[in-house]
Amino acid sequence: MAAVFSQRRTSAHRGSFGIVMTALAVLGLAIAALPVVVILIMSFSGGTTLDFPPQSLSLRWYVSAIDVLFGEKSEGSMSAFSALGSSLAVGVLTMLTTVLVCVPLSYSLVRSRGRWRQSAELLFTLPIVFPLVVLGVAYLLMTEAFSQQTGVDPGLTRLAIPHITLALPFVLRNCISAMSGVGIELEEAAQSLGASPMRALLHVVVPLMKPGIMAGMIFAFIISFNEFTVTFFMYTIDVRTLPIWMYSRTVSSLDPTTLAISTLIIALDVALIAWVDKLVAGKGSLF
Amino acid sequence: MDTHLEMRGIGKRFGHVDALADVNLAVARGEFVCLLGPSGCGKTTLLRIIAGFEQASAGQLLLDGQEINHVAPHLRGFGMVFQSLALFPHMTVAENIAYGMKLKGVAPAQRASRVEELLHMVQLPAIADRPVSALSGGQRQRVAIARALAVPPKLFLLDEPLSALDAQLRDSMQIELRQLQQQFGVTTIVVTHDQHEAMMLADRLVVLKGGRVQQCDAPSAVYRKPANAFVAEFLGAANLLPGVVRGPDQIEILGRSVALPTRLATGTAVTLALRSEDIRFEINDTGTPKRPNGMAGEIDFLRDLGAKSELILKCGEARLRCHGSDALFQQARCGQKVEVLFDAERCSVFAD
Repeated sequence: MAAVFSQRRTSAHRGSFGIVMTALAVLGLAIAALPVVVILIMSFSGGTTLDFPPQSLSLRWYVSAIDVLFGEKSEGSMSAFSALGSSLAVGVLTMLTTVLVCVPLSYSLVRSRGRWRQSAELLFTLPIVFPLVVLGVAYLLMTEAFSQQTGVDPGLTRLAIPHITLALPFVLRNCISAMSGVGIELEEAAQSLGASPMRALLHVVVPLMKPGIMAGMIFAFIISFNEFTVTFFMYTIDVRTLPIWMYSRTVSSLDPTTLAISTLIIALDVALIAWVDKLVAGKGSLF
Repeated sequence: MDTHLEMRGIGKRFGHVDALADVNLAVARGEFVCLLGPSGCGKTTLLRIIAGFEQASAGQLLLDGQEINHVAPHLRGFGMVFQSLALFPHMTVAENIAYGMKLKGVAPAQRASRVEELLHMVQLPAIADRPVSALSGGQRQRVAIARALAVPPKLFLLDEPLSALDAQLRDSMQIELRQLQQQFGVTTIVVTHDQHEAMMLADRLVVLKGGRVQQCDAPSAVYRKPANAFVAEFLGAANLLPGVVRGPDQIEILGRSVALPTRLATGTAVTLALRSEDIRFEINDTGTPKRPNGMAGEIDFLRDLGAKSELILKCGEARLRCHGSDALFQQARCGQKVEVLFDAERCSVFAD
């Protein structure tokens, strides 16, 4: 009897309802993937213009991209290379700072019994709903005021601080969800065996949070590496990231080199996201 | 008595609620004490105060005569088994058991041999390298016990340690736990809500209700001479009947005066506790009791449970549970008129 019922239900799923759901899923995927697909195809173009679809295929723009980034002679190579360096440095700085803030913060938020936990969580999530342009202007005003009054050049931190603000909610969410899975009795068990509260934290809580912490770090890096809007307000001649360099290049000359670089960045992002997915598999949602 | 742990007037307030009030208890060295009570009676809170995870709002906690109220849990040196067991999921069985020794700075070779020894003691040889997630419920239970005993603890504390196991496994683990405790000779305090488990394990029961100690005595004494109606009901599903003292050793129950030893003054309202195994009955169709303490009744419900029969006798307004296995129970039928009998020696009378 049970088998008959389940068969019926399965076939109903494959009926009109199933077709509609599948169609919607395909549509959603297509909308999400279309820009990536276009960029991917164009980056392999054999022509010198951005006509779509390309007339011929080649790897010449990848050669050009590598040359622009790492080559010695090519014009603009220095600035592209230093932009890549800044991007990586700011990304790593954002990643480390957010994790150092979020691990203790998520611990105290999850362990606190009080009512303020939810409001505090909401407060830390606020940067997500901030208009990025306003955030950019605000950080620009603050940074300029700071460097004028103190005479200190903030260097990379002029980009890192806004990036940290933007990445923090995502890292915090990951850490909180990881922390929620660690029962307080595990800490107490460690303490009953002779571990001080700090040791219990380091030996038991942090190792169990590791997948969540790693996922948060990767997210922080991706968010920082791809960030454009706020960075556009904050960059200087000396301190600029790869997205800013790509934008400037695209504005001045539309050649597929930028698209080849984009494809490389997308490949990096996909690899990192796949890693995150593996880390947090079965351990709750990412957002 | 060689007092090991002593509680003097321990109290705990959560907001406006007294979770514990005026708990006084002295535990002898090597004794097995069981904190017993329904959920919310404060037994777990008391255990957590002893372990150091909660601070008492009042009173003193003394270990070997030294006050330890403000000693941090990790400095107390008590082994604890948690209700959820709290095995470290990122460590193997051996790493779990060796964790306390590692903190104490015991050499790796010694740790390994101690782990082997403990695993033998809890009858789990050859699982040292398994991850905790690969263990069954009973195995986890034993690993948690081994972990708590790895560094010989001053006190062995267990919070509902067997509640996650199925009935059969729980029975055999109770015996094992009792034997293990005697083998180690460690002073042990266990929290449970299961009266059978408590009587199986402990040298002494501490029955709690509403944060107050109701009775503290050997299991058989608590069972035979309950201090009040609550204890009588909690230990052994007794039948409680309201009554009034009508004279010297005369109590009126269910509208009939029966002879029961009591020193209470005439006119006192009382509760009579009758265990279900102490109620007898005989067939009597006449409707009038023949014996001095007999009461007319009727079989209202009957169930043969195999080893014994369980039935409910209707006596006027009251419904009495009773069970037994002799021929009378086998022949009993629903709706039969009976005469209900009980032994005056075996019932307890409490003033309301």
